[in-house]
Amino acid sequence: MLKVKGLNVAYGGVQALWDVSIEAGEGEIVALLGANGAGKTTLLNAITGVIPALSGEAEFEGRRIDGMKSAELTEWGIAYLPEGGRLFPDMTIRENLEMGAFPRRMWRERAKRLRDVYAMFPKLREREKQLARTMSGGEQQMLAMGRGMMSNPRLCLFDELSYGLAPIMVDEVFGIVRSLRERGITVLMVEQNAYQTLELADRAYVLENGRVTLGGTSAELLGDDYVRKSYLGL
Amino acid sequence: MLLTVLNVVVGGLIMGGIYALISMGLSMQYGVARILNVSHGEFIMLGAFFTWALHTAAGINPLLCVAICAPPIFLLGFALHRTIYKRLRDVTRVSGLFEGNAMLVSFGLMFVIKNIALMRWGSSPKGYSFMAYSVEFGGAVFSANRLLVLAFAVCVSAAFYVFLNRSRLGKAIRAASQDAQAAALFGIKINRVMAICFGIGALLAGIAGVLLSMIYQINTAMGMNYTIIAIIVVVLGGLGSIPGSLIGGFALGLIGSVVAYIEPSLQLVAYYVIIMALLLVRPKGILGR
Ligand SMILES: Nc1ncnc2c1ncn2[C@@H]1O[C@H](COP(=O)(O)OP(=O)(O)OP(=O)(O)O)[C@@H](O)[C@H]1O
Ligand SMILES: [Mg+2]
Repeated sequence: MLKVKGLNVAYGGVQALWDVSIEAGEGEIVALLGANGAGKTTLLNAITGVIPALSGEAEFEGRRIDGMKSAELTEWGIAYLPEGGRLFPDMTIRENLEMGAFPRRMWRERAKRLRDVYAMFPKLREREKQLARTMSGGEQQMLAMGRGMMSNPRLCLFDELSYGLAPIMVDEVFGIVRSLRERGITVLMVEQNAYQTLELADRAYVLENGRVTLGGTSAELLGDDYVRKSYLGL
Repeated sequence: MLLTVLNVVVGGLIMGGIYALISMGLSMQYGVARILNVSHGEFIMLGAFFTWALHTAAGINPLLCVAICAPPIFLLGFALHRTIYKRLRDVTRVSGLFEGNAMLVSFGLMFVIKNIALMRWGSSPKGYSFMAYSVEFGGAVFSANRLLVLAFAVCVSAAFYVFLNRSRLGKAIRAASQDAQAAALFGIKINRVMAICFGIGALLAGIAGVLLSMIYQINTAMGMNYTIIAIIVVVLGGLGSIPGSLIGGFALGLIGSVVAYIEPSLQLVAYYVIIMALLLVRPKGILGR
């Protein structure tokens, strides 16, 4: 269970998040919708402690995570996929995956982890020697997800998985997210593609100018007049 | 004719091996730690003088000096990064500014190291003779120490390459050089990796210095020339590309050998002509992107 309480974040003197509180239950897919610059990436960065918060906290399964080091976060079962995949372009698919299990204790078990991830993403195994930068955008996103799975996480934070993908690839990527839910993994996903995301997610929050302005089940949001007008273009 | 070619080629490979070592070292320091280390050649000089001192004063086998000199030179590089460059990076957030400042610091470091060496060892050339007998190889005659240097340079380069590609630390170094922020997300300690890379750079320079002392006279002002050559090779091979430095090092050694055979005084001129021509055709170097 992920609990974020009263996060305030500022860049220099400019506040980017105002008193943001959200939750995600075990095995739940929770979406975070919002326009460009709403503060979605900032929120994920604050949750994972990549940037410090002025106040507020984030905890996962009872432990405070916003101040954790990256290795601790990985070991505590949290995988963060930043915006744009951020693969290591001149490393092979296999090497990129291995980096997902970098903390020492996981490194020893990386062969086993690799087998599990290859079972989830058979295409990656076929091409394990290929350099990441020579893959298509969709394949790169698969690799980024596979790399996140290498640490066998219980919580996944995804920043715009569908960005720049063709519709058919979005379906494939979202299909994988759905399969994570079946494994009991909690997902917090940032998206701009509101309609498809709401069809996938259990619940969603709307972030506007750094504030959570709406929250509810996906069905509620799909039926909400304001959401329909502003985010679904209906 | 054939013998001449063999001579020139082997001579070029020997030089190339040294160039490859020092360039891979500089490439580590620039590619990961973002420091264009102008004092790089001084670590070559240190390696050479340590070996000379150990050999002439204590009779220690120069080959053993590789093992003796490696740890302290690595630690010196590591400590320099920890004490100076890391602090510099913490206070200069903008990366372009850091690169400029780091280069200025390394200029200072160059003078400090060089002058300490000058105080200790003076400016006259030094040398010793080690395995100076000749061996025949395919009809051509080479001195044994030069072949040994070549073999050693190739082995160290290969070992380094395997380390980067196979070990956990090596992979962390490559990941950090490709995307430091993303690497940090996976638990790679960027500051430590940078200090290690700076140390490895110093280490490779130091080993090159040990090897150089076996075949050439050395002096306390020898560093600068090698720094320039390393910079040329690193630019030639593509900034920060280790395979590029390896290939570029051997290529430049071979070209230098051919030019030196025709007209020795043109060697450095030739290097500059090559780099200017190459940058016009491929602004990012042989393997750069
Ligand atoms: N490093 C930074 N320094 C200063 N301001 C920043 C920084 N990063 C983000 N901001 C500002 O904070 C606000 C929120 O940015 P953020 O990247 O979180 O938005 P986002 O919702 O992820 O947008 P997008 O959909 O474009 O990715 C924006 O106004 C942005 O300009
Ligand atoms: Mg964003």
